[in-house]
Amino acid sequence: MSEPSAPVEPIAQQPERASQPILQAEGLSKVFEVRGGDRFGRKHPVTVLDDISLTVRRGESFGLVGESGCGKSTLARCLLRLLELSAGRVLFDGVDLTTLDRDELRALRRRMQFVFQDPFASLDPRMTAGAIVEEPLEIHEIGDQRERRQAALEMLADVGLTAEQARRRPHAFSGGQRQRIGIARAFVLRPEVVILDEPISALDVSVQAQVLNLLAKLQEQLGLTYVFISHDLAVAEYFCDRVAVLYLGQVMEVADRSALFSDPLHPYSVSLLSAVPVPLAGGRARRAERPQPIGEVGSVIERPPGCPFEPRCPVGRGRDICRAERPPITEPAAGHQVACHFPGEVSVHGARRNGAGTNAGDGDGTARPGHTETAAQ
Amino acid sequence: MDELALSVRNLSTVYDTGESVVHAVRDVSFDLRRTERLGVVGESGSGKSALALSILGLIEPPGRVVEGEIVLGGRDISKLSDRQLGAVRGKEIALVLQDPSSALDPVKTIGSQIVEALTVHEPDLRRAAARRRAAELLREVDISQAERRLDDYPHQYSGGMRQRVAIAIAIANNPRVLIADEPTTALDVTTQAQVLALLDRLVDEHRTAVILITHNLGIVSDFCDSVAVMYAGRFVETSGVDHIFVAPTHPYSEALLKCVPNPERLAEGPLPAISGFPPDLSQLPSGCSFAPRCPVGRDLPQCHEQAPVPHRVSGPAGEASVECHFAEQRIREVAV
Repeated sequence: MSEPSAPVEPIAQQPERASQPILQAEGLSKVFEVRGGDRFGRKHPVTVLDDISLTVRRGESFGLVGESGCGKSTLARCLLRLLELSAGRVLFDGVDLTTLDRDELRALRRRMQFVFQDPFASLDPRMTAGAIVEEPLEIHEIGDQRERRQAALEMLADVGLTAEQARRRPHAFSGGQRQRIGIARAFVLRPEVVILDEPISALDVSVQAQVLNLLAKLQEQLGLTYVFISHDLAVAEYFCDRVAVLYLGQVMEVADRSALFSDPLHPYSVSLLSAVPVPLAGGRARRAERPQPIGEVGSVIERPPGCPFEPRCPVGRGRDICRAERPPITEPAAGHQVACHFPGEVSVHGARRNGAGTNAGDGDGTARPGHTETAAQ
Repeated sequence: MDELALSVRNLSTVYDTGESVVHAVRDVSFDLRRTERLGVVGESGSGKSALALSILGLIEPPGRVVEGEIVLGGRDISKLSDRQLGAVRGKEIALVLQDPSSALDPVKTIGSQIVEALTVHEPDLRRAAARRRAAELLREVDISQAERRLDDYPHQYSGGMRQRVAIAIAIANNPRVLIADEPTTALDVTTQAQVLALLDRLVDEHRTAVILITHNLGIVSDFCDSVAVMYAGRFVETSGVDHIFVAPTHPYSEALLKCVPNPERLAEGPLPAISGFPPDLSQLPSGCSFAPRCPVGRDLPQCHEQAPVPHRVSGPAGEASVECHFAEQRIREVAV
């Protein structure tokens, strides 16, 4: 792959990050045995992830976006081998996770952590915040008790919680604070990769901003790599350097933030992007110009034989090749991959934003701004 | 000009637990014209849902509406008995909730639930006729093969389809006012777009007025023509929809708008989060309830001591009513 010479900024600006993969999926598939579907309740296989290949680079925020059922959360779990793959492999820093035994995997898990969506369900209500953050250190037998306590308190301070608050149990905290505890628990091990599974969707808007800022600050401080799962494209656009769009367990498109959001090539990306309401004046007029999404989100149980998006696609619906053949992944521009027989045939022109140029990535404008938390807790 | 669909005057609702009194809705007044689409925005705990339930007479103990008039089609429904209200709810005013599953009975077919919604208010309706109407309603909310799908159970429908059925039930009797409380929050964006398009048609074809309760300002822009920003049980800013995006005048409105990730502002640094927490509605500060968090009034005695009254201001995108001591000054500043 050649170095992008085109004005595609984030990579060019951060050359040292550009080419080092830290997490790679190669031909990753996941099949679940599902009961039902027929009256005898026989089990039958359902492919929820279908031959996915992706590369996450060190130091970046890599977004996984798509609608419910697209497999983004399953993929995230497979990437850390919290779920076993049905086919393919996952390389973490060059090591094939699928070949590791339990102990080896456990040792490696220190370097890969997970933050869950629901800060209410993911914290043990009987433990204090301090104990919750200490626990991973205990499990991985890091330091002695005093050092662990100290590390937990420092980590809690980093996420904006005091030593006094460390003695409280989860119920005493608000949703945003609980998510901070979840973040502290994941980050206390100083991982290299953190998978953030819808980390802010359960939170109020004002609190979402605080948590996003915190995540950005920690990434900068600790040099972390994020895999950021979101159904909210506005958040992904704000937060991620590169984004993969998934539909029914397949990758539709992967690109830099600015390329994906200003010049999406896959009709599914286009319809997803144009459906996002933007908090700017003139939304009614904007919405009237957009094409209406066709039909229902499909199901992996009845996956179409060709392109999974074909039945809803404004470009390919009814076209023979789209119905019959799964599109190969091509790379029409450096770093911009798409799985479509007719990439770029529809565009978001006018459909998305009003007047304000679609070229959001103007010069260095797209680099995520330097982060200091402005929220006085 | 336009006929009024709903007029709410001085509505106040409290939850009195004995230990504390939570003021969920505080002296809220507004008018809703036919075909108007009013967006009510605010964070959780701002009183949005309590307002909806108060209007519908669905507040349950220990909550109660302590004051106010709710005039629907010329009649004050706040004084009606439960029985009388039952005849109004679902007929003249209807509710759609965030979670469509909660509105649908899992053990009854979709068809029987729509038929029930029809015959409750029209006992003389014959079965066959009711079923025909039910199928029409399903078609109206874009469910294909409507006749056949009447006999399905809710679990056989997708989330988006269930929400459309909930809307079909809500509009079965052609209500004057539809209150939709976060109707698309549980849905994917493409499904959300379909539900908004459906609500569009409803307004256009049946002249229904809609109160859309949401935390998503993007949806307000996409659907509404007026907006009320709710904070601590009050409407702190009301205006036509564009005003709030062009010249958000109340410091809370501005803060709420700014903390939404907006690609247009990528270069402007980290998201300005709102500091502090929403107030405890059982121990409201004596002055402006936003004062403790307010970048303008945090240190001003006036804001802490004196509750602001609504000020009418005029900006580049129309007029607004703003409950802030500094409304006139602010509109000059924000509207550059």
